[in-house]
Amino acid sequence: MVSTRSLMDLDRAHTLLTNKTTDFKSSKCNEVYQQKLIESQSLNSEWKRIMVFKGSTKSIRFVDELRQEMAAISDNKSKQAPYRSIPKAEMIVLDAPGLMDDYYVNIMSWGKNNVLAVGLGPTLYLWNSVDQSIHKLFHVREEDIWPTSITWSEEARTLAVGYTCSNLQLWDAESSKLVSSLSLFLYRIRALRRLLQSIHHVSVYLQIRSLQGHSGRIASTAWNGHILTSGSRDNSIINHDIRARNHLASCIKKHSDEVCGLKWSNEGDRLASGGSEKQLYIWEASKMSSSKFLHRFTDHCAAVKALAWCPYQHNVLASGGGWNDRCIRIWNTQKGICIHSIETKAQISGLEWNRYQKEILSSHGYSTGEDQNKLCLWKYPSMTKVGEFGNHEPRIINLCQSPDGVTVVLAVADETLWFWDVFGPPYDWNFNGFGSSRSFLFEEFSDKIVIASEQQFTTC
Amino acid sequence: MASRTVAKDIITLRGSAAIVSEFFGYAANSILYNRGVYPEESFAKVKKYGLPMLLTQDEGVKSFISNLTAQLSGHFSHSGNELIVLEKEWLEAGKLQRVVLVIMSKATNEVLERWNFSIETDSEVVEKGVSREKSDKEIMREIQAIMRQIASSITYLPCLDEPCVFDVLAYTDKDVAVPFTWIESDPKLIANPQMVKLHSFDTKIHKVDTLVSYKNDEWEEQ
Repeated sequence: MVSTRSLMDLDRAHTLLTNKTTDFKSSKCNEVYQQKLIESQSLNSEWKRIMVFKGSTKSIRFVDELRQEMAAISDNKSKQAPYRSIPKAEMIVLDAPGLMDDYYVNIMSWGKNNVLAVGLGPTLYLWNSVDQSIHKLFHVREEDIWPTSITWSEEARTLAVGYTCSNLQLWDAESSKLVSSLSLFLYRIRALRRLLQSIHHVSVYLQIRSLQGHSGRIASTAWNGHILTSGSRDNSIINHDIRARNHLASCIKKHSDEVCGLKWSNEGDRLASGGSEKQLYIWEASKMSSSKFLHRFTDHCAAVKALAWCPYQHNVLASGGGWNDRCIRIWNTQKGICIHSIETKAQISGLEWNRYQKEILSSHGYSTGEDQNKLCLWKYPSMTKVGEFGNHEPRIINLCQSPDGVTVVLAVADETLWFWDVFGPPYDWNFNGFGSSRSFLFEEFSDKIVIASEQQFTTC
Repeated sequence: MASRTVAKDIITLRGSAAIVSEFFGYAANSILYNRGVYPEESFAKVKKYGLPMLLTQDEGVKSFISNLTAQLSGHFSHSGNELIVLEKEWLEAGKLQRVVLVIMSKATNEVLERWNFSIETDSEVVEKGVSREKSDKEIMREIQAIMRQIASSITYLPCLDEPCVFDVLAYTDKDVAVPFTWIESDPKLIANPQMVKLHSFDTKIHKVDTLVSYKNDEWEEQ
């Protein structure tokens, strides 16, 4: 720092000369001061240090700028904020014939193994997002029986499938469980599986268990380690311990209508359950056997299907209401209060949090006006709308997020699946998707395992 | 006959430092309000010095000023989650010479106004730890006069019609270490300033002179 002593003195001197009122009393301290002044005249004496206050870690200036930035963003509700671009085009569109237009079911799940399991009517397909291969898991022959709830376990080793007939099945990828009396037959199957895997890199799924307990269709399922929770039209929630022979761990009958929304918190300590009777319950994992709920929220005025726990704030839950309600509510499940309530203009069929930025995405269906069949992106925690996209004709029924947290997939009632690259770290946001869409068709081949690729169909 | 002498209060070094730093806090708020550095709506009225004083409600500015005044008086201070441990130098050690509130143009960073508060400390008090006597009311009256002058300064100060920002400078003795919330700076002077000297107040330990210098558009004969 170059000494500006001379300048300072000039300033002081000027002050003395230009004083309009002279009130310099000769006091003792003034003498001392003047003494110092004299001392300063001599060369090489530096007696002053000038510093500027920067405040605490955030200086005033920075806070002011931040505030202005926030104000600017909230001003442009529908306009895109310059640093955040909403994808202009979807990445991929898949034809999904047979997809049921039912708001209350949850027929999509994207597992950690990069496989999207989706129920198209009575058929369950597995779509691998890495090589885009399609695999039909099964097709239900009986009438009126179709999968209504599909969820991958946390490590994607098991697929839980709940049906209209209250049956709950567990499918295991690469299962090595053998039934001892049919060892020879199974040996051939094992050999066949190895052959298939070596040539076509396909996972073979075996149904390992069938869980009973409900008396109505299973609308929602959620995994918490080895516990599989199912919510049903019979108004009950059942916790199954899939390791135990007697799998029924607890049965809770608190809802008075179909349990269409079910989500375990990321830490596995809380369960959120939403019902068609508009109630939202929060349960503690340790207290579920006593049917004692932690909180009951009655703010929604329609079915609560969309539920999503916040990835960056422990105990924060987002819930979305159906057609009569149309609200996204953010809850603090620790204190049991609603922190935010945003009125959208359409029923909410899905909610997904962006793991990379503080945002939440909502998918919509029927509406009275705007936001119909759209995807809306909201900034958290201000809950200002960042943007909206996806002009779909009929409504969006289900919303799901990829394991890498970059892509979302929507099930639209016109029997299509749409993939949008809407999340992801900032440097990815300028990527607007492939632009052109490629379509795949889910072909129905009974009794055969189909491997479909872009170029050819091979059956084995 | 009734005594005509005004009852005097004991002023200690610490007490005087507190009076000065508190004065600075209110003066800074008043300047920010009167000069329009922050919008009027962001201020709330409180009663102080027998006057309605305006204090900012903006959390950022509030904590900035409170951290600052704590630094001046040399005491422990909490600022949100931070505990700022300050050394008892500055006012209590008589090492603070001046505090300057500088108002600058946000766009160009040009210095438009300088509110200079010069401080003279009674070194005997600092060295020997004695205390002085002066009526609190008297000190308050003196401060009140200064506050009134700051408020009425808008009559002669040029209008600041562009967005402004402010900074606070401290002139200390050379042997004072720069605390971590401060950095060395240039004096941010105004070239060819117009100056107006305001009243001063004296606690008998610290004497504070107030001066405002501002950018002069036209050359004026002194």
